[in-house]
Amino acid sequence: MTKLLITEITRMGPAFCVIGLQREQQKIQSIRPVPSSANGWMYFPHHRGDILECALAPFPGAKPHIEDRVSTCSFEKSSTLPEAETVSYLRKAEMAQSLPDLFDCPIHENKKGSGLFAMPHQAKRSICGCETQNLRLELCANELRATLALPSEEALRDLPVVDRDWRDFIEASLSPGRGANRVARLDRFLNSQFHYKIMSCPHHFIRLGLTRPFHDLCWLMLDTLFPLPRPEWLEEF
Amino acid sequence: MNDSRFPLSSKKDSRRRLVEDCFRREAGSVASIPGDTIDLIETGILDSMAWVSFLRAVETAGGVSDLGSGLNERSASLGEVLAALRNSASDISSADDASLIQKISSSRTKAVLIGSSAVLGSRLLPSEEVDRAFGMPVGKLRRRAGIESLAYAAEGENELTLAAKAAQEALRAASCGAQQLDWIVATSETHHDYPSLSAQFHSRLLVRENCGALDVGGACLGLLNALVVAQSLIGSGQAQTVAVVTADVHSRTLTPGRVAGEFGGLFGDGASAFLLRGANSLGTTGGYLLGEFIFGCAGQYAAAIRVSDAKDGSLNVQFDGEALSRAAITRMEKVLASVELRSGIPRGSVGGFATHQPNPRLVALLAKQCGVSPGAFPPVARTSGNLGSSTCGAALHETLRSASKQVSGDRRPIFLASLGPGLLFGGGWLTPND
Repeated sequence: MTKLLITEITRMGPAFCVIGLQREQQKIQSIRPVPSSANGWMYFPHHRGDILECALAPFPGAKPHIEDRVSTCSFEKSSTLPEAETVSYLRKAEMAQSLPDLFDCPIHENKKGSGLFAMPHQAKRSICGCETQNLRLELCANELRATLALPSEEALRDLPVVDRDWRDFIEASLSPGRGANRVARLDRFLNSQFHYKIMSCPHHFIRLGLTRPFHDLCWLMLDTLFPLPRPEWLEEF
Repeated sequence: MNDSRFPLSSKKDSRRRLVEDCFRREAGSVASIPGDTIDLIETGILDSMAWVSFLRAVETAGGVSDLGSGLNERSASLGEVLAALRNSASDISSADDASLIQKISSSRTKAVLIGSSAVLGSRLLPSEEVDRAFGMPVGKLRRRAGIESLAYAAEGENELTLAAKAAQEALRAASCGAQQLDWIVATSETHHDYPSLSAQFHSRLLVRENCGALDVGGACLGLLNALVVAQSLIGSGQAQTVAVVTADVHSRTLTPGRVAGEFGGLFGDGASAFLLRGANSLGTTGGYLLGEFIFGCAGQYAAAIRVSDAKDGSLNVQFDGEALSRAAITRMEKVLASVELRSGIPRGSVGGFATHQPNPRLVALLAKQCGVSPGAFPPVARTSGNLGSSTCGAALHETLRSASKQVSGDRRPIFLASLGPGLLFGGGWLTPND
């Protein structure tokens, strides 16, 4: 059995993609458990910070998703770590300071419009953590997008946000039961309280991921944003 | 199904053209245009990545800053994009509000470029001599970068003298006296002294005391920054006549021993000057009308080039030539595509491309990527090296000089595009004022 600290739960279409950390001797590395018949989970009842016991088998996944492992039995939760401790482990896993170091390959910009991508055969991994100097979330035509600055001062724009908890939070903030001007209120929150809450948090941390190859390109996305949103923040706007 | 919010126009307006062009760039050039009410995401025509990418392209080409927020809680349809574009501050003319646009635009004075000049450092060195000076294999600059010679400032020449010489020639070409200048807008990536270049230039040219003097930055993008400032001064009625000058003397900063030859060896010295005047000023005929400008900063390339002073007086240079080359080509191509979309001028009908020229190899590659003749790019970097902010200036002057040989009516538009560390980018266009 393997112990896996769950660090990412992302929404990919109707399914969830899950990534966790596994300790192998002195090294902490990211592992993506996948069902035997698909890339994602249609139902995943666990949370970030949960430590799950599972059985994983090697999986000949296509590059750059070298972290894929087939889960051969159901997950069993053994304990839970607080958010700050989870981030402390993430900081010991795959890390980068600059754009080319993220996936150990050149990152290209979309010539037609927005977005950044890596070439599948060049990228050496599909997930990486980093600190940010600044971060902004924005609802653009109903799509949640992130713009952030890396320690190298390189700016990354229009990254799709696939973090399940943040997506759920944004959806909850826009639910009709919350009254009028919901988009404008959310916009104000994202430009004020959100920014303060995120940037002043001592365990503020992000993980960036690559999509599976789509038309031979792997697009960058914001997989995880710590701190995770809290339900009581909805009362603030 | 007709929706009253999306009026059908018998005459295809320019907003619709722009939206459709951006859609085809995203969906493919042979893609058919969906109906105005079709939800592009629900129907799978675009995925969510492509939808946002398409909107960003419309924003850039349409000069709209925040189209996406206006489309929240709306369907992902072309009709909604058009409606949001119509509601935005964009001043792209359309068939249905042309008269309003006419009123707005007529209240702002257009700027006309009436005179230009460019000068180079008077010491012309074969690139092999520069190879040797930097301790590089002889022939490297020619083979790798395509640079045949470099223009270096001679003793007694500096940013001020080169800028003054260029300005005097531009004034003479425009039959304009220095005392007619209301503003001087100067830019340089090598002049860091005080008084600033614009102040020194003001005194050297002996313009009126109440002529304003302003320095703008942006390094190689400096000319475009300066032009848009001048255009704004004229448009707002603050000035009738503005001189824009660029001047760069790299050969005294990027010296052997201080920087690597692969970087320092690319640069030469030069200056350029342009006179701009309000289109409504007495005697303003001919020349080229300044169109709109597009600006921005592609921060993902911020680490590709960095230059800073070290404590010991040396220079810290971070230069990832390969990444910068890739970034330069991609971004300039993108800028030129946006200029094409925004202006409605097909690139094939452009008379010349006055762009930044990091090195001749990249210019050739850019021409190839854009599908235009390399001959439409004046060969500035090949014979003089990268002149910083003056590269674009020298290229623009050369393009204008070629155009001046043509009869009125045959002259064609000019596209501008440049980059600066950051990666700052900008583009624009000029059309003959016939």
